[in-house]
Amino acid sequence: MKIFQKVKEKIKKLIPAGFTFKRKKKPQSAKIPGTRPDKEMPGFQETVVADAKFSHPEPARSARFIQEELPYQYDQDKIVLQVRDPRWVHTYWELRNLTLESLKSRLGDDFHRARKVLRVYDVTNIIFNGSNANSFFDIQINDFANSWYIDTGKPGCSFCVDLGFMLPDGRFITIVRSNVVQTPLEGPSWITDEEWMIPDDLFARLYGMGFGLGRSSPVGKAWQERIKQGLFSSGISSSPVRRAVKERSFWMKVDCELIVYGATEPSAAVTVQGKPVNLRPDGTFTLRFWLPDGKQHIPVKAVSGDKLEERTITPIVNRETK
Amino acid sequence: MFKGYLCLVLHGHLPFVRHPEFEDFLEEDWLYEAITETYVPLISVFEGLVNDGIDFRLTMTLSPTLISMLGDPLLQERYLKHINRSIELAAKEMERTAWQPGFKDLARMYFNKFSHARDTFLKYDRNLVFAFKKFQDLGKLEIITCGATHGFFPLMDVCRASVRAQVKVAVSHYESVFGRKPGGIWLPECGFHPGHDEILKEAGIRYFFTDSHGVLHGSPRPKYGIFAPVYCKGTGVACFGRDLESSKQVWSSIEGYPGDYNYREFYRDIGFDLEYDYIKPYIHPDGVRINTGIKYYRITGPGNNKEPYVEQWARDRAASHAGNFMFNRQKQASYLNDLMGKPPIIVSPYDAELFGHWWYEGPMWLDFLFRKIACDQDEIRLITPSEYLLENPRNQVITPSLSSWGYKGYSEMWLQGSNDWIYRHLHMASQRMTELVKIFPRADGLRKRALNQALRELLLAQSSDWGFILGTGTHTSYAIRRTKEHLLRFTRLYEEIKSNSIDEGWLADIEYKDNIFSEIDYRVHQ
Repeated sequence: MKIFQKVKEKIKKLIPAGFTFKRKKKPQSAKIPGTRPDKEMPGFQETVVADAKFSHPEPARSARFIQEELPYQYDQDKIVLQVRDPRWVHTYWELRNLTLESLKSRLGDDFHRARKVLRVYDVTNIIFNGSNANSFFDIQINDFANSWYIDTGKPGCSFCVDLGFMLPDGRFITIVRSNVVQTPLEGPSWITDEEWMIPDDLFARLYGMGFGLGRSSPVGKAWQERIKQGLFSSGISSSPVRRAVKERSFWMKVDCELIVYGATEPSAAVTVQGKPVNLRPDGTFTLRFWLPDGKQHIPVKAVSGDKLEERTITPIVNRETK
Repeated sequence: MFKGYLCLVLHGHLPFVRHPEFEDFLEEDWLYEAITETYVPLISVFEGLVNDGIDFRLTMTLSPTLISMLGDPLLQERYLKHINRSIELAAKEMERTAWQPGFKDLARMYFNKFSHARDTFLKYDRNLVFAFKKFQDLGKLEIITCGATHGFFPLMDVCRASVRAQVKVAVSHYESVFGRKPGGIWLPECGFHPGHDEILKEAGIRYFFTDSHGVLHGSPRPKYGIFAPVYCKGTGVACFGRDLESSKQVWSSIEGYPGDYNYREFYRDIGFDLEYDYIKPYIHPDGVRINTGIKYYRITGPGNNKEPYVEQWARDRAASHAGNFMFNRQKQASYLNDLMGKPPIIVSPYDAELFGHWWYEGPMWLDFLFRKIACDQDEIRLITPSEYLLENPRNQVITPSLSSWGYKGYSEMWLQGSNDWIYRHLHMASQRMTELVKIFPRADGLRKRALNQALRELLLAQSSDWGFILGTGTHTSYAIRRTKEHLLRFTRLYEEIKSNSIDEGWLADIEYKDNIFSEIDYRVHQ
């Protein structure tokens, strides 16, 4: 393990002095944790590139898409737990009215004084039977919530959640129980395969290379920061994709284009500045040019279909930009 | 002297967007742009290499939704219309910029590029999948599969029947297109959840990829880090971990190649820059300005001032970046070889659409890289995962960790305040699909059609692209619409199937709209 301490120290050194990871606490009770889009985060650039695939403005077409809504819930008693990252899990739930009604008649007055609670059990390495959890903690929720993000703070552990009532006398009544999930490790495993034993220093070097710490690789700062800072400060989660806010710079752009148009017999051959031009069936033509500064001579010549007659008209245009 | 392997992977995917009910549909442009800017240029690179006798190896995902769209006659017809319009605009631009020397050459560049795209498209009978297949049959390209509609598997773990359906539908679709089984899979968003390797094994898939931490944080600790694949414990499916160093050199717009000031600026398009009346016929019929694909500027610098693009300068940079990439891999391989006592494999996966669409010079860079690797050195060798496993069958056994290549490395991109509401409905639909398969294990006739369509709708709702777009918070209305639309269609089918009151007219209508996977078998969802 010493070796890992070393790697960690190395990582520390690589983080620029004075660098602080902002742990901004938003004043409002933000139940969704997250950080500001961080260009150094793993996956940032992947996100930008993938987003570029979908880069279009939205046309106004709401009228074409009036749509039914999805149901609010599905009339079942259910709670589902999912892993968001090594520390956070997400849960959503629903309860039938029937279930609530029967609880109400069972609990009587206590029903109204009971608080709705999520009980989060650490069930790492055990077969959970409802009472043998390694530990648990409670989160009080309001009546309107139907989902929650939970900071377990424990990578590499298993969790299960009960949605239930906490009664005034301290009793906890489970209404529904979730599935069990396991958070991933946040660093390398401490389990080394005996058959494939590898000296720690060798692995540390490989590990460092993987994260871009080897001597040929100055990159990988994102990972170093990640390991160092932990991923998960609180704040409002927002899009990592919106392009960097443009520096405040007022701007204006002016350009000039010149339209040259005319008409002749449909059978005639027309050239503009010596180059042939296609006529529309009615003998008209239109050309459009980006117009540079200076004087432009634009001889327009038409030769009749039988090549016996010709006309040349030469507009002269002067652009001067100040 | 040989030091190590380099495994380049391009992940080609777009969500299924096809709206026969509308004359013109903006989001279909995602496909048209990718054809012109990415798929055709890549095919041209492969053609050039084969013609010049340059040996190369590339692993490439073609997602089942992408294959389906490339093979769809309606979208093919619409692409032709689209590219013809682009050619017409480029021709007008050559005229308009006659007095603007730098720009005139660029207009010609686009004219040639668009014309070439049309020629290539027609040469392969309008279906570019044939082109990719040709290079696979030549042994240069290894095409792998993906989730049927690119569902994000870690957030489908509570209904593994859906993960199974995503994998099995993809595999049988692959077989019907390429006439063989896929060797590997690109897990959508590189999202791996321990245990899903069992489903891959059932489907006959031999390998997949994870992001670096998927392998590095696996248990037990991987002896060679990410520089050798591992086998999943219990299943023996091989897992290759991504190398971050090489990834970053290409991905990053800050320190990576695509940010070079001589490269083309993605965000300046004449669709936004030119005078409205002139450009109007080439933007959206509703009058909204959109990208036309004609972009005249180079990145120039960090500010807003942009100078015209110079093709030759960009070409020179692409060549030198390819040399730099190769040099770094040589150093990396030789360093790792010393450390490991055996040749490492460096796995560098990228979004295929990064090349050409986002990074205009990407295909050119790849071309230079392949040529240099073949001619200028003997330390690194390009390889595909299948070839690697044949040569190096003995690998460590571990359980890789939950991971993805999304923002922050896990599931947060697809599970945050703006998109977490979808899982309640998606999981419910999965549960109901499983229920239907249980009730009707051997349906036929109309009921079978309805059950198959129900699975199509469920799969389409599961595309990670919708969650992703909701997560980015821009242009979300289409993603919301698609999520709801497929879920609502699914729910109605579920109810009609259960109550034995299937509305055949309506069923035929959604079969026509959501026509993906014509050979689907609903029974895979269990």
